[in-house]
This record gives sequence, C-alpha cells and structure tokens, in this order.
Amino acid sequence: MANIFPKGANSIPWKLGIINIVLVLTVIGGVTYYATPKWANVGYMPTQPVAYNHELHVDQLGLDCRYCHSFVDQSSHSNVPDAGTCMNCHSNVSSPVINPISPKIAPIVRSFESGDPVEWVRIHKVPDYVYFNHSVHVNRGVSCVECHGQINKMVTVAQEKPLSMAFCLNCHRNPETAIRPQSEIYNLDWAPEDPVEHAKWAEEQVVNWNVNPPQSCSGCHR
Amino acid sequence: MKAKSQQPEMNKSELEGPRYWRSLDELAEKPEFKEWVHREFPQGASELEGVNRRSFLRIMSASFAAAGIGLAGCRRPEQHILPYSRQDAAGAPEAVIPGLPVHYATSFPDENDHLPLIVETHSNRPTHIEGNPDYAPYGGSTHGIAQASVLDLYDPDRMQSASKGTRMVSRGAVADSLSSISSKFASSKGAGLAVLAAPSASPTRAKVVKQLKQKYPQMIWAEYAPISKDTAERGATAVFGSPVRPIYDLTGAKRILAIDADFLNKEAASNGLARAFARGRKVQDKADAKQMNRLYAVESNFTLSGAMADHRLRLGTSEMAAFTVQFALAVLKELGGHRDLVQALESKSAQSSGDAVWIAECAKDLVHHKGHSVILAGSHLPVAVQALVVLVNELLGANGHTVSYVSVEAKTAASITDLATAIKGGQVKSLVIVGGNPVYNAPADLDFGGLIKKVSEVVRFGYHYDETSVESGLNVAASHYLESWSDGRTYDGTYVPVQPMILPLFDSWSELEFLAILGGLSERDAFELVSATHREIASGQDFEKFLSVGFAEKTAFKRSSASIVWATALKVVASGDFSAPVLTEQNLEVRLVKDDSVGDGTYTNNGWMQECPDPMTKLAWDNAILVSPKLAKTVLNFDTKSGKFLIQGIAKKSQVMKGGREIAPIAEITLNGVTVRGPVHVQPGLADWSIILPLGYGRSHVGRVGKNSGFNAYPLSTSKGFYQSGASIRLTGDEVRLANTQEHWSMEGRAIIREANAQHHESHPDWVNHMGMESHSPAIYGTDKDMSLAEKSLTTPRGGSLYETPDFDQPAPNLDAWKSDEAKAKFIPEQQWGMSIDLNTCMGCNACVVACQSENNIPIVGREQVMRGREMHWIRLDRYYSSGDIEENRVSLPADPQASIMPVGCMHCEMAPCEQVCPVNATVHDNMGLNVMAYNRCVGTRYCANNCPYKVRRFNFFDYNKREPDEFYLGPLGTNKNKTEAGTLKAMQANPDVSVRMRGVMEKCTYCVQRIQSTKIAQKVKAKDSNDVHIPDGILKVACQTACPTEAITFGDISDPKSAVSKAKANDRDYALLGYLNVRPRTTYLARLRNPNPSMPDYHKLALSRMEYERAQGHDPEQGHAEENSHGGAEHATESHDSHGHG
Repeated sequence: MANIFPKGANSIPWKLGIINIVLVLTVIGGVTYYATPKWANVGYMPTQPVAYNHELHVDQLGLDCRYCHSFVDQSSHSNVPDAGTCMNCHSNVSSPVINPISPKIAPIVRSFESGDPVEWVRIHKVPDYVYFNHSVHVNRGVSCVECHGQINKMVTVAQEKPLSMAFCLNCHRNPETAIRPQSEIYNLDWAPEDPVEHAKWAEEQVVNWNVNPPQSCSGCHR
Repeated sequence: MKAKSQQPEMNKSELEGPRYWRSLDELAEKPEFKEWVHREFPQGASELEGVNRRSFLRIMSASFAAAGIGLAGCRRPEQHILPYSRQDAAGAPEAVIPGLPVHYATSFPDENDHLPLIVETHSNRPTHIEGNPDYAPYGGSTHGIAQASVLDLYDPDRMQSASKGTRMVSRGAVADSLSSISSKFASSKGAGLAVLAAPSASPTRAKVVKQLKQKYPQMIWAEYAPISKDTAERGATAVFGSPVRPIYDLTGAKRILAIDADFLNKEAASNGLARAFARGRKVQDKADAKQMNRLYAVESNFTLSGAMADHRLRLGTSEMAAFTVQFALAVLKELGGHRDLVQALESKSAQSSGDAVWIAECAKDLVHHKGHSVILAGSHLPVAVQALVVLVNELLGANGHTVSYVSVEAKTAASITDLATAIKGGQVKSLVIVGGNPVYNAPADLDFGGLIKKVSEVVRFGYHYDETSVESGLNVAASHYLESWSDGRTYDGTYVPVQPMILPLFDSWSELEFLAILGGLSERDAFELVSATHREIASGQDFEKFLSVGFAEKTAFKRSSASIVWATALKVVASGDFSAPVLTEQNLEVRLVKDDSVGDGTYTNNGWMQECPDPMTKLAWDNAILVSPKLAKTVLNFDTKSGKFLIQGIAKKSQVMKGGREIAPIAEITLNGVTVRGPVHVQPGLADWSIILPLGYGRSHVGRVGKNSGFNAYPLSTSKGFYQSGASIRLTGDEVRLANTQEHWSMEGRAIIREANAQHHESHPDWVNHMGMESHSPAIYGTDKDMSLAEKSLTTPRGGSLYETPDFDQPAPNLDAWKSDEAKAKFIPEQQWGMSIDLNTCMGCNACVVACQSENNIPIVGREQVMRGREMHWIRLDRYYSSGDIEENRVSLPADPQASIMPVGCMHCEMAPCEQVCPVNATVHDNMGLNVMAYNRCVGTRYCANNCPYKVRRFNFFDYNKREPDEFYLGPLGTNKNKTEAGTLKAMQANPDVSVRMRGVMEKCTYCVQRIQSTKIAQKVKAKDSNDVHIPDGILKVACQTACPTEAITFGDISDPKSAVSKAKANDRDYALLGYLNVRPRTTYLARLRNPNPSMPDYHKLALSRMEYERAQGHDPEQGHAEENSHGGAEHATESHDSHGHG
C-alpha cells in the first residue's frame, strides 16, 4: 500500500508549530503595541466645528488658559467656554480681524444667538470609570502642560499624551517630576532655568506641601 | 389653537408605553409653553427661544453628552462637548459650574409638617435629597419618603399631560375648562361647586382658598387625607376653646408615655421628636446612664417607637380610649384633687384589658417626674382621647416644659363625609379633586367611587393617573414639588419655601396656578403668589435670603395665651366615648395603618420605597395581614410541630421561610360583611387579638412599579375611623410567596446586639467587653492592646495575626521624594475613616437605606430577585426579637418580645477577609483605611461575598441598571433600558460621581468614597502650596449619616483623637460586631441600653437579649451571675462560647 502522506508531511507538525508561535507572538505584540492609548489615542486630531487656533489666541495674543477654561481651578471638569466668552471679543464689529460676520466663526455666532451649543469634538478623554479632577492638579502645582502638552503651540489641538493609567501612575509615583511653582502653572512655556536646582526644589516642595498623590484604586475609581 | 393641539387618540400600547419624549416634544414647541415659561422665569426664559427639542434636553440634562456612534475613523467613537451657549447673567445657568453640584433649599410638602430640605442638583437635575441642617429642630434629618421623592420626579408613569378620557388636552384647553367652571358658578356664588383637596401646610394655598371662598361663598371646600395627622390639634382646640396646636419638646422629657403613637416615625414632626428623644438617650459615660429618658409605649401594632420603648404594653387600639381614662385616673390618684374630672372619668367606667399595676406604676413614674414627663397619643385616636391627653399633660405639669401650645388658624375645611352627604343630596354639579386619591383611599362606607359618578363634571388634578383619574372627566397633570413654586410651614409654624430647581419635565401645572385659574384670581403666577405671602409672613426679611437659607426666621407660630377651659374640657370628656370592646378570639380588632414604605398609597409606584423592607416585618414589595402568634395558633390553627408556624427561629425547622421567600397562607378577614383577602404574616409583639393591615397596596390603577403589589385594605375602613372590632379571620387554604429580607429573627443568645439595663451600665460600665467570644479569647491586638485608637488605625498592629500590614503613617515606599528621614518626619498621613453607630438611638426607620440608595446609584431588583436574596441595598437593618427564653424560642414565636435593630453595612475591616480571597485584587485596601472595590477589575467570582462574615457584599447577578425586572433573564436579548425613554428618564436621577455598576461585579458600601474624595480635593484646592490637607472634623458627612433622624451614625477621622467619631468610639459601650474574628472593623457599635422601671410588673433584671445570651452561656440569669459579670478572660478561656452558627 502506497503511503498516504508524502514525505514532506513529516515536517508539517513543526512547521505548524512555528507558524503558531509566530502568530501568537504577533497577536500579543500587536495588542500590546497597538491596543494601547499610547498608539491608539496619541495624535488624535479631530476636525472641530470652528477651527479655533490656540497658538494664535494664547501664544500670539496672550490669553490665559483660565480666560476660557474658567472653572478649571474650581471643578473636576475643565469647562469648554460658552459662545458668550468668544463673543466678548468677537462682537467688536469695527475691527476687521475679530469681526463676528466672519464665516469662520459662524457656528459660534449662531450658538450665541440661538442658544444651541456648539458641538465641539472631545479630544482628551479618560474612561467613564475614571474620576479625574482638574482643580486638585492645577492648585497643587501640576501644570496643564503635563497632560495636554504645549497647547499654546498647537494650531489644531491634538492629544499629545496617552492619558492611560500607566501615564497617570507614573506621575503619581513621582510627583516631583511634575510640580512647578504656583505662579507658573498656566505658563505653558515655562521651563526651569536650572533643571538640577529645580529637581531639588521640587523634591523639597513635595514634602513641604505634603504631596501624596493617591496610588490606590479609590483615588480615581469610585 | 385647540384643533391643532388635539392629538389622535392613543392606542393601548401607546398609552402603556413610555410617553416621555413624545409629550416633551410637544411641550417644547408649544407657544403656550414658551409663554408660560416666560412668566415663571422671566430672566431665564430667553434661552428657550427657538430651541429645538434636542438642545432643550441637552441644556436641561447635561452640559456635555456622549454622541456615541458616529465613528470618526476606527479609533474611537466621536464624542461632543456641548458647552452652554451663554453663561453670563443673561444666560440661564449662571450659577452652574460644570462638574460641581448646585444645592437648592426647599421643603418636602406635607399636610402640616413641611420638612426643610437641601437638594443636590447636577446640571440642573435633582439627584439627591438631604435635610436642611440649619433648621435646628430637625437638624438636617430626613425620612425615607422624602429621600425617595426625587425618584417620583423621574417616574415615567406620572401623568405627562392633561387628558380627557384617552385624549390629550392642551394647556390652553385646560385653562379654558377651568375658567368656564369659574364663570359658570360666579352667578350662583359657588353653589353646586365642590373642591376636595389634600390638606396642605402652604400659607399661600390657604390664601388662595380664602379668596376662592370669598368669591364663591356657597362652594364646598373639603379636605381629606387618610389617617390625618391633625387630631391632636383638634383635641387641644376642643379643650382650650381656641385653635391651638400642641408642640412636643422631648429635649427635657425624662418620662414619656406613647399611647398607640409611633411618634418617632410617623406622627407630625416625628423628625424633631426622634431627634430630641435620641438626645435624651445619648450616653457618653456612666453618669449619663442615670440621665437617660424612659419610654413607655402602649400599642396594638409593633411600631418602631414600641421597639425603642423600655416598657411596652400590648393593647388593642379600640381599648386605647379606655386605657387613657384608666391612666388619667391613676395620675389623678397620685396627684389628688380635680374631683370633678375624677368623677367625669369614673362615670365612664372605662376598662381596658391592660394590667392595672402596669398603669398605676407607669402613672406613678410620670407623676414623680412632674414637669419632665409627657404623654402622646396616636393621631388615629379620636378627638376625645386627644383632649384627655391634653388634660393629663396639664396635670403632669408638662405645659410649658415638655409640651407647649401655639395658636394656629382655625380649620374651616369641610370633611369628606360632609362632601359625600352633599353629593348624595344632589348639591354638587362640578367636583374638582385637588391631589389625593379619594376613590382609592376614602373611607369605604362612603363609596366615593360610586358617588362621583353622580357628579356631572369631575376635574382631577393629580400626579399619577390613578383610581380617581379613571372616574374623572378632565385630568390635569400636577407638577412635582421639585418643579414648582409653593411654600409651607413646618410643624412649629416656621415658614419654608418650596422652590423649583428644574423646569417641569412634562405638561404639568403647579397646584397654586391650578387653583388660581379655577378661582379666576387676578394673580395666577405661583412665584408672585409665594413672594407676596413671604412679604406678609416674614415682613422685612429678604426673599432671596429666604430661598437660600431655606426658612424664614422667627416665623414660628406664637405661643398661645389661652389656657385650658376646664368646664369645656369636662364637657368634652363627658361627651366622649371611652368604652372598650372586649377583644377575644371571636371578636377581633382590625386596624389599618399607613405602610412604613408606601404610606397611604401615594408612593406605591416608587421603586425605592417598594423595595425598602418594612422595618419590623422585613417584607418588601407586598403588605400582609399581620397577626399575633397567639391569634395564629388559636384562630388560624397554625401547626407548631410541623414547622409551618415557626419563622426560622432558633430551631430552623421552618418550612415557611426559604431563602428570602416567605410562603404565606392566604386568609380572609370579614368585618361588617366586607371581606378582604391577603397573605398572613405572623408578627411577634402584636396585641393578641389585633389584626394589623398596612394600607397603600393593592392599587388597581398604578404605574409599572406598583402593579400587582399587595392587597387593598381600604375596603375595611369606615368614616368613623381606621380601626374597628368585630372582625373574623379564616384561612382560605391558598398560599402566596412574599419577599422577606430577613428570615431569621433570633440572635440565639449570641452577642450580636449587646444590651444592658441602664442601671447595670452605671455599676458595670465595662460590661460590653465581657460579652462575646473576644472577651474570652486572647486579646486581638496582642501586646499592642493598649495602643490608642489613632495609633491602631495608622499602624494596624500585627497582634495575633499572620500578616504584617503596611503602616499608613509612613509615605508609600515607592515615592522617592519621601525616602529621606527628614522628609518622613514631616509626613502627614492620610486621614483614617471610621464610623460609630449608636444602637441606643437607632430606631430602624430606613431613612439611611433610602439615602444610600439615592446617593450611590443602587438599583432596585424587583420582588422576584428579592425572593432570591439578591437585594442590592448597601446598608441593611437587622431586626431581632428576644423573649429571654432561648428554649421557648425553639418551639414558638415570642408573643411579647423585645426588638433590637442594627444597621449593617460594609465594616471596612482593617484585616478584611474579602481582600484575602479576591483572585484579581479587585477589592483592596487603600491608605485611608477603606476597603475599596475596583469594579473594572472584578470578574465576579463572589469569593469575597462568601468570605465576608457580615454578608454585606452585593452582587450584580443581572444588569439591574440596564434591564427592566421582567427582562433580567433575557440577558443581552432584553431591551437596553438606557435606550428607552423611561430608562433615560430614570437615569437622570443618577449621581454622576458614582459608577453605575454592570452585571457580574460585586459592590458594597464605600463609606461614600465620592464624598470623601471631593471633600479631600476641596481641601487640597484650598491648601495650594501649604500642607494643610486634612479635612476638618464635621465637614465630611456620609449619606446615611445626614439622613439619620437620631444622629445615631457618626463618621470621621479616627486617627484624630479629637474627632467626633473618636470620641464616640472612646465610649464604654463601644464594641465590634463579631469582633472575635480579628477582622478589626472600622465601623463599630455602641451597645444598647434599656432603662426599665424596677417597680413595673414587666420589669426584667436584664434586657431579654442579654438573658438569652446568659442562658446560652450556661448561666442562670435569675441567679445574678451575669449581673456581677464576674467572668473574665481566663476563667472561661477554654469554653467555646458563641461558636455556634456564624453563617
């Protein structure tokens, strides 16, 4: 009786084994790399209904973060401004630059007049079960820039940091890397003059301010 | 206009199904609505101009919302942030900071006792209700019904628009109908017009009614509420000759006699009474034990006040009048004098079955404390009894000390009986029913449902479409009190606002506007009406301040200058009926009581109240015919031997209780030819021949929640009263299953609730440490047993434990900045949270249970799931009975037990057994000493619940938040509730600071971690670059604590020796439940003290539970062994005390 399987069949088991190993490793590698916020979320730059330019408003015109995000130091949620805030300046008809009839800001004017909200697209987002609080961070020496990057340089805002749990914990375990003088929290361009000196200062302040960021579940998950 | 707004008739499925968006759609677009909004909020209305339905809802419900599905690429769903359009003075929500709650002061409406409230709103959605702590008499406490009222606001079954038959009626048409009634009766001066209203404490409503009456002098204005709370007032008025109201002040009361009065829970001003009563029972050290007040209770039902009583006499309600006479005579005998009153009383020759010695000794004790004693009578008792109570209080010198009388406005409303007579006489052409539900709850002998068919035009103003709505022509939807302007008075007369914090969700009317239009008044705007009343009552006070503080100072009723007119009083007594029937097994008494959960039926469609177990019977979702064990045995022939009768006592041979299912036989009660059928529940502690029937169930027209719950007991009510003798009962042979959350009623002599008599506490203040297994075992903290509480909480000394736990007084080891010794010296540890529950003042009213449910997004699971023991309450109240005789408990239910109640939630054990068995670290300890749950880690093994000795962990067997109760078993095939209109409406109540849990995860009390964190964050925000990060004591309060009427719960930082909770735990009576397990719970209890009178015939040397404990230990309590408490550790160390049956 002739052999049912050709000789080459002898190598099938180990070939299959290798293929399986490669497959499994690829899947594991793929998931650990691609299915993380670091890959999936960083760089997220959706189109907004109004192409609001942070670089123009903050860097060139010198608006403070809190002019628009007015409750960031009081509330867990950093509010997106109401249309009224924009119209404080943009209602100046005589100026050609901030003219309200510019089609670029039409959705805002419409919202101001109709009461309908402008549908801004959310960029920075933590999951529903994470209770992040802005006020406690900005009041205890953590600048906006630590999580949002240099928004003041962004023409279109994009997510710069992964905002994953590992990202949060990294700071919560090393608070001295993220704190700065209270006066510089909203100064997104600030950099310590002497990094070595600042590191020493920061370590001291962690102790003086009694900074002990929560590392247990209840800090963020309720 | 009319033609346009008339809708096609709705078919059946449309009527039954959710109608929420549909009518809201109409609502938002209608010009009348906009105009109406304009009038109510002249400032804020403009933002509604041209708003379409979507944005209207968005503005109303949230500042930003998930838009969800529209995928912007495959990365993640696109979400939108929707800011307010204009958040300046011209825009509506100027005070709103997105992410922070806004609190409004308002009050919970009641017939004569508004409860001042602070309501938490998130993005203008009311989510949680708390008492107003600034109103001193109630001190910020609430009751379950007030807590649950926020759920009624989002009840998808509430009336959503006016309707006539099955047709919707527009606002304009309603106004037209009302105006036409108003003009129709203008010429006849109101003859032929009748209004039946629920009684109200609103001065503005009283003013509107006055104007109505001026305009229509012939109109009949009647008021009705079942078991009205105003009889005490009417009794006092009869005696004083002018309208007065008795205000009890129990702060200085040392001896209290409650005659069939559940004054701690259900009577007028019970929040204040409970608070003052509890203050008289706060015992910090042994000297206080001498100062404790003493409560005598005489009652037919076993109420919470009875459970708090030091002496309790079981007596039929129909014997209460005779008892009061006997008691008055006993008091007079002690005092002497008052010959004419003695004569008048003696001529009544009233005789109850109460023990004469009991009465005499009780009277002696009260007389002995003249000026510090007081008696109260239940509001269901007749006016003559109330009048006699006033006289006895006068004799006891209570007037001016423990009770005072304030002048009130005379009551002018007709009764429902007067109205019924007028309808029978054909004098009523148009009947307007404002609130209430008379077709369901009017005395059955009036046959109100039949009567109103004789009236040609019936207009109904009500919140739900109910039994009365069916019989009415035009139905007008009422606004919730959180959506409308009104006002009211607390029981002492303090003027309080009812202010809206959300626009009406549906096409509904406020009561004041409805009445103003009906009366054709010139001013129809509720806000204007209320502010005008405020100018009159609180003249010179700022209205804005009134709204922000929540009450107007110095507006309480003035003390009456009238004194008792003894001649009139004697006449009132002489004309009163004080006779008592002889109750026997052939002549049973039936008493109808408002249910502890659903009241008179107003809250039958409220899921929180339905699921809240009755404090004594522990039944949820149903009522039952409550009978005494003796009645069950002799009349119903319950078989003691077969185990059918025993409800899981010590013998555990019950066939009636199986895992939350109580198999109850169905009985029929016949009274005067009327028969009512219902399941029987044998309730220890009832008067032998009294049958107690809770009202409020068995509704025929009710929403989805209240459907098919319980039986209707109203058919047995008569206009004479809600109790009557002459009933008979028989079993039908049928059975039904009831949901009972606690099948076991005996502590079996274990030291779970530790009780002692006050006298014993004086002589042996450390008695509590001589009870339970831990008094015999080696000290739990080993050599560190003398460490201070603060130190123990921070270091968790190892003691006899295998584990070495991390110290909380050190910085986390992975923080580089904190590694040096200088840094460590500066370290300020986290605050360590703990709780103390005073069992001496906890009365088991369930306010904490509902407050917790509201705060923590706890779902209701429905009757079927409760029957499987799957209720989700994070805090439960365990109720135990003790008869003193552990052997007797094996063969029968106790007839006259003492009841002990204990709230149990997660204890936040320092050595938590649940944490050690979790395979995925989903339940872990944090550095504040909390035992936390990470829902996202939980895989649902339920090991933790199995290893929890307190059984406080709750498992989401189904998607309770996502599915309707009848679709739990369909799993993902069921409807997603979050996508139905009813579900989204209910979801508006949810607290955004707490995760909504999904199927398959464990949950439990978190010590309100969201409150801890937000308060902590607020403190850190304040601290900025300082190290002042500790929350000052008293600022942080957990939900159950704020709700508690008796201040039984103390919460705070136990690492601070000066905090209130540390002081509470320093009490001699402090003990840990199941402390011998070395789990070191952060919640500990203060043992209960009873304060019996040694000369009473029912005096026990030991509390009955203690007697059982001593017997279980093999001691004879009669020999006084326990009294000396000589058994120390070593003596009995080898005995395995208390080892039976922990499970």
